Amino acid sequence: MTGSINHKTGLIFFPAFDWAISPTHPEREERLLYTRDQIFEEGIMDLPQVVEYTPSLASIHDIARVHFCVPQVEEQITEAHLIAAGAGILLADEVISGRIKNGFSVVRPPGHHAMRVVHGNRGFCNINNEAIMVDYLRCRHGVKRVAIIDTDAHHGDGTQDIFWHDPDVLFVSFHQDGRTIFPGTGFTYELGGPGAFARTVNIPLLPGTTDESLHYILDNLILPVLNDFKPEFIINSAGQDNHYTDPLGSMKITAQGYARLTEKLCPDVAVLEGGYAIETALPHVNMAIILALAGLDYSGVREPDYWPGRFKETPERKEAVRRMVDELMGYWKNRDNYKPDSRDIKDDFYLREKEIFYDTEYFVENQVEKLRLCTNCQGYLTIESNVDHIYGSKSSVLCISIPFAACSKCREEATNLYVGQKKTKKYRYIYLQDKSEDTFVGYDTNNNKDWHS
Amino acid sequence: MYVGIDVGGTFTDAVLLDNDHVLATAKVPTRDGEELLISILEALDSVLSGVDTKLLKRVVFSTTIITNFITSYKYNDVALLLIPGPGLIYNYFDFGARTCILSGAVDYRGREIINLKEEEIKTVLSELAAEGFKKVGVVGKFSPRNTMHEKKVAAMIKDRYPQWHVELGSRIGVQLNFPRRVHTTYLTCATREPYCRFINSVRQALVKRKIYADIYILKADGGTMPLDISEELPVETIFSGPAASTLGVQALIPPKETAVVVDVGGTTTDLALILSGRPLLAAKGARVANRLTQVRALAVKSVPVGGDSVLKCSGINIKILPERLGPAYCMGGPVPTPTDALRVLGFTSLGDGERAREAMDLLGKALGMVPEEVARKVIDLVVDKITAEVQNMFLEWEQEPAYRVWEILHKHKVRPAMVVGVGGGAAGFISMIAMRLGCRSLIPRYAAVANAIGAAVAKPTLQVSLRVDTEKGYYIVQEEGYQGSLKSKKFNEQNALDLAREWLVERAGKYGVKIVPAEIEIIHQETFNMIRGWVTTGRLFDITMQTPRGIIENIGPREVVK
Repeated sequence: MTGSINHKTGLIFFPAFDWAISPTHPEREERLLYTRDQIFEEGIMDLPQVVEYTPSLASIHDIARVHFCVPQVEEQITEAHLIAAGAGILLADEVISGRIKNGFSVVRPPGHHAMRVVHGNRGFCNINNEAIMVDYLRCRHGVKRVAIIDTDAHHGDGTQDIFWHDPDVLFVSFHQDGRTIFPGTGFTYELGGPGAFARTVNIPLLPGTTDESLHYILDNLILPVLNDFKPEFIINSAGQDNHYTDPLGSMKITAQGYARLTEKLCPDVAVLEGGYAIETALPHVNMAIILALAGLDYSGVREPDYWPGRFKETPERKEAVRRMVDELMGYWKNRDNYKPDSRDIKDDFYLREKEIFYDTEYFVENQVEKLRLCTNCQGYLTIESNVDHIYGSKSSVLCISIPFAACSKCREEATNLYVGQKKTKKYRYIYLQDKSEDTFVGYDTNNNKDWHS
Repeated sequence: MYVGIDVGGTFTDAVLLDNDHVLATAKVPTRDGEELLISILEALDSVLSGVDTKLLKRVVFSTTIITNFITSYKYNDVALLLIPGPGLIYNYFDFGARTCILSGAVDYRGREIINLKEEEIKTVLSELAAEGFKKVGVVGKFSPRNTMHEKKVAAMIKDRYPQWHVELGSRIGVQLNFPRRVHTTYLTCATREPYCRFINSVRQALVKRKIYADIYILKADGGTMPLDISEELPVETIFSGPAASTLGVQALIPPKETAVVVDVGGTTTDLALILSGRPLLAAKGARVANRLTQVRALAVKSVPVGGDSVLKCSGINIKILPERLGPAYCMGGPVPTPTDALRVLGFTSLGDGERAREAMDLLGKALGMVPEEVARKVIDLVVDKITAEVQNMFLEWEQEPAYRVWEILHKHKVRPAMVVGVGGGAAGFISMIAMRLGCRSLIPRYAAVANAIGAAVAKPTLQVSLRVDTEKGYYIVQEEGYQGSLKSKKFNEQNALDLAREWLVERAGKYGVKIVPAEIEIIHQETFNMIRGWVTTGRLFDITMQTPRGIIENIGPREVVK
């Protein structure tokens, strides 16, 4: 944000030392232990450039503004999720009010694999901390344009899904090539819905990519795109599993690479995502990001086994990266001339079918997404979602989402659809998420009961 | 019987307690330097006349001497040898001393990642010797996790300059905060000599009066330590004065009360909180003379406003300046003060009433207000300032960072039920502060010597911090500077607790502190399983145990003066 009156960096450090997915899971109590040790030992919290906040809890309402949790929000989250989401909201509030210049939410659990519809945990995520922050900013502070830069080694497929049709949210993700890592998506041809073409930009990188290529992409693609898009608020999904020591990722990014990345991006709020080299990467990378955000000298932050020049980019990879950047810049430049394929359009609705794999709990969700093609607004969205759990239970739900700046016709149609479908008994649960009015309701067909969040 | 003696900058106070009875109190002026002994003797004699000193169980001292020494410390005779390794560039911290940076590094697990360079150390040492330094603090980043580097440097110093006074950071700053460890070590170096002078005066005084009771000194956190240990850690005694007042109030109010302690002095008002009967500890170490230390202290806040603060009229506003030009106008001072306002409104009978009105007139003339109006305005200002700070303290306490889910969920709002006044200027303001906060007000009978009472009732405390890394197979007892190896990798949480308890009992034996094993409390406990590649490869335990802080007797308010 411009016009900040205070020049401090806000820090929320919430390691959730009493929360884990399972005792030996990478997302466990120990994850931020050594980061805590490093940050505390360096006296970061005492620096005049840093102010530490204690997180507050996000509300169920804040989550319902983004997600359709099946059956209800309360069933999909723990308190730790409310705290992690609440931390982002608190920092966003403080940045908007000008009390801090930027913020870093070093929290667990992460969120960028959580999609719009939530049946369970995917890629260690249940709810999407960044998306919750974005919709909070739009609802409470009237922010219009937001950019999310996802720098995790895994494709931020959840964030991509949530803002796929949203021309006001730019989602840029660089990550390890989906052919080699979870969740197997994030290719250059994934560019967003018909009304938001190229507002989703995916940069898949081959395993072994180094700082050099990363910064080439930053300088020649991400920064120019941001410069064109002119966001009012920039969020960094600061995953740290591109680090050369990460056990899940296979990239070669260093703490210094991350620090320079943060310095160039200048995010308003950075949110920790993945990163599971809990000893060899996290203490250094988190330090590097904090110092870069606070405008402090980070040149002394270095891994014990790193020396400048340790990782060199091959000429072939350099050339491949150059070609990809050119290809993506081409899409970006033509973003307003895009015409959707007529085979995807049926009766004024744009159709998309998706199969979503829940890796943590091992089941598949099938979705049919329909976007109302409207000339006056972004159009309302419906998602028919079916899940076959391996243990035999089935659930079929209908989710209806009305965007922030919906026209009255779309609102009316969507509301009528909700009321009408309640009678058909076709779905177990039906949801109506009206962002324009900030009201979120649901209906349980089995007991004919409505609820609102 | 217990004796409590508070050696303040201006007065030395003493009390003699027999269980919950205050048998005698004394207040004598504190003399400087060599004459300090005389003040301590005067105070002792006054409370012990006709008492058989063999009946004394314990004498506890509290003092502001070290705080005062630090704030007026102008020498430059301490050098720092730092081993910061990679990370934050050290020059963000101005340690205000001759600082030498040595190569070498240890990480968060205590692994050596960069070796020391002997030649470099030799060169630095001869430089310092040439410059005439004899006091040196050696501090490494993560040194509490591995004391090897600090010890090696210390050994090299001892070899070459055996007469130097050397302090190691790992002994003094056991928590994880390198810059604070450096400051705390620096202050330890700087205060060792004057502190020794102080405790020598104390020892002499007690020998002269044939007192052979256990001698303790109050710490900033309201615990006490045996006089002999305190010699190693003089900085722990900073702010023992305010800690003494707070413990005194704790003893003088009903148990389990939530109260604000308001100590109104000449130019400052000290605020402290007692939550459900227990004084609140500050979340972070104490700040002294602009140095952030690792010294655990009670949460005491100083507001720059007191009975003798200078009042000034600027435009249509009255301002309180954070300075003192002398006593109140009604006591013959040069300028109007809040005390004069109290006198005009009849809240105190100090000084000359006519001069007090004159003082208010001086202020109010330009505003066209009568003395009573001006006085009310002044009192309002003072009360506003103090109540705002009280509310801030509660807010800050609520907003202290927490790192576990349950801590966040269990944060709750607490507001005080009682405002307790101690200190000379308290009388006039307390009831109004209480009214503004919606509380009862109380000035206990022994308010004037609350600090000495606090010292007398403080329980002896000892603490042990244990760090165990079963994967690396070692443990460290921070307070003892001991690093040992584990016999077995199958070392569990119970073993860790037992080990900490053993060390605490042994430490207590060493210093003659009697402890009841059942009373030992765990104030910090962390266990982390280390999992590498889906297999548990070790455990990390961090345990801090202590004998409970607290007071031995509750005296109660007695005749309550409102």
